[in-house]
Amino acid sequence: MSDPLVSFDGVDKYFGETQVLCDVDLAVDEREVVVVIGPSGSGKSTLLRCVNRLETIQSGDIQIDGRSVLDADVNEVRQRVGMVFQSFNLFPHKTALENVALAPTRVKGLPAETAEERAHDLLDRVGLADQTDSYPGALSGGQQQRVAIARALAMEPTVMLFDEVTSALDPELVGEVLDVIEGLATEGMTMLLVTHEMGFAREVGDRIVLMADGRIVERTPTRDFFEEPDTERGRQFLSRLL
Amino acid sequence: MATQTDSETQSSGVLMRDRLVRRVGEFAAGGFVLAVGGLLVWILTTQVNVQLLTSPLIAGRFFEAFLLVVRIVVISSVLSVTAGVLVGLGRISTSPITGRIATGYIEFFRGTPLLFQLFVIYFGVPRLWATGEFPFQDWAVPAAIIGLTLNHAAYVGEAIRGGIDAVPDGQMEAARSLGMSRVMALRTVVMPQAWRNALAAIGNDQIILVKDTSLLTVIAVPEIMSVFRNINSNQLDPWTPLVWVCVLYLAITMSMSQFVDGLERRSDWGSDGGMFGRLSRFSSGGADDADGGRES
Repeated sequence: MSDPLVSFDGVDKYFGETQVLCDVDLAVDEREVVVVIGPSGSGKSTLLRCVNRLETIQSGDIQIDGRSVLDADVNEVRQRVGMVFQSFNLFPHKTALENVALAPTRVKGLPAETAEERAHDLLDRVGLADQTDSYPGALSGGQQQRVAIARALAMEPTVMLFDEVTSALDPELVGEVLDVIEGLATEGMTMLLVTHEMGFAREVGDRIVLMADGRIVERTPTRDFFEEPDTERGRQFLSRLL
Repeated sequence: MATQTDSETQSSGVLMRDRLVRRVGEFAAGGFVLAVGGLLVWILTTQVNVQLLTSPLIAGRFFEAFLLVVRIVVISSVLSVTAGVLVGLGRISTSPITGRIATGYIEFFRGTPLLFQLFVIYFGVPRLWATGEFPFQDWAVPAAIIGLTLNHAAYVGEAIRGGIDAVPDGQMEAARSLGMSRVMALRTVVMPQAWRNALAAIGNDQIILVKDTSLLTVIAVPEIMSVFRNINSNQLDPWTPLVWVCVLYLAITMSMSQFVDGLERRSDWGSDGGMFGRLSRFSSGGADDADGGRES
């Protein structure tokens, strides 16, 4: 068995006195899609945010490609980890194209033409070739989120993190974003995603990780989880959704 | 909708009252305008000496003062906004020392009168040198520019800090997640938005700066109010020079607000993505390219 691409090893995380992550172990293989589910406040988003060090952990280790993210240069780690947020966080003063091309030119030092050419391709890939010159304010939520995905992909990350990326969207716009993520999964992108969309989790996830109170209480291949969860917690969680 | 008739009769009562209030308001406003307009016309016709008003001597002296004020305003504006950006950045600095220095700076310069600050610089500072050693021959104008700059940098700094605070945290997070350093994220993502947020407050402050130049009369800067005092005491005619004073200040402040409006429109990347959006892309894109865009 090959080494995992991302691995959590005994991760503890506190906000002040409260422990939000409790001895978390998790390994994500290359090309694997792991879907993290669980009740709100269970630490799902925090788990994701620890990977690119938007949150600091108090003990344990997180490795990408066998290298700990803790003692690496944080900006270098983040170039290898693409992140998409619930609230899009597009740069409102930049066009869709500039949003996507900004980091490749500024951080990687690509020539502007190369970066813009690639931004064009990426926007095309998320179905927004005709919106390159639009400002985020003129785009729908679904379009903004697709630009945000293109922006993260522009840095050619080895792993993508999706933090409840459809939670802020109108129901009729969820589909277009999920289609893009599904496309990435088929292309073999390694992904760690937090979602409340169980139908989507079922479709795109290779494995389901169920969290509760900062702990991983169950990890099961997707199909098995939705048919017959291993744990009582899993059964409870599923039954509450039905 | 079921109680349409009911609510209609109710709302028609409210409507009548609203209309009455509006009528009273319009009447009061109209009366006010008429009274002020009448008083103005009366003053202009009875109190203002048209011959004196248009005499080349007075016009020339006011014009000279006007040019001096414009020069002082332009220099102090540029310096105070530049320094204000630094003060604002200092306020949000992660270093507690820098943060405290910036806070102290703002507290001091907002907390003491500008006139006091001008006295410190104009009277106080030259005394720190031995008699006759102070290098500036004519210290009044430099002292004025330094005083206005230091004072208004504090206000601009607070406006900038407010503008930065109004930028959602997600912007910094998104920029950092793409591998940008904090400085790069501030410069390319946060500050352009903070600037846009702060523009109205900064413009407001810069208009106050224009009017603050009137205080310079007490440190012997030959500005507009000094010319007024001079003419008034020579001619014993306040109203004629006051017309000049009014027109000249308005000329500066109104150009200033036009300029700020222009800046605001240029950086309006609002929801339409239309003309304003394109304009702002044009300008900010140009600036981005100009600095080569590499920093890691």
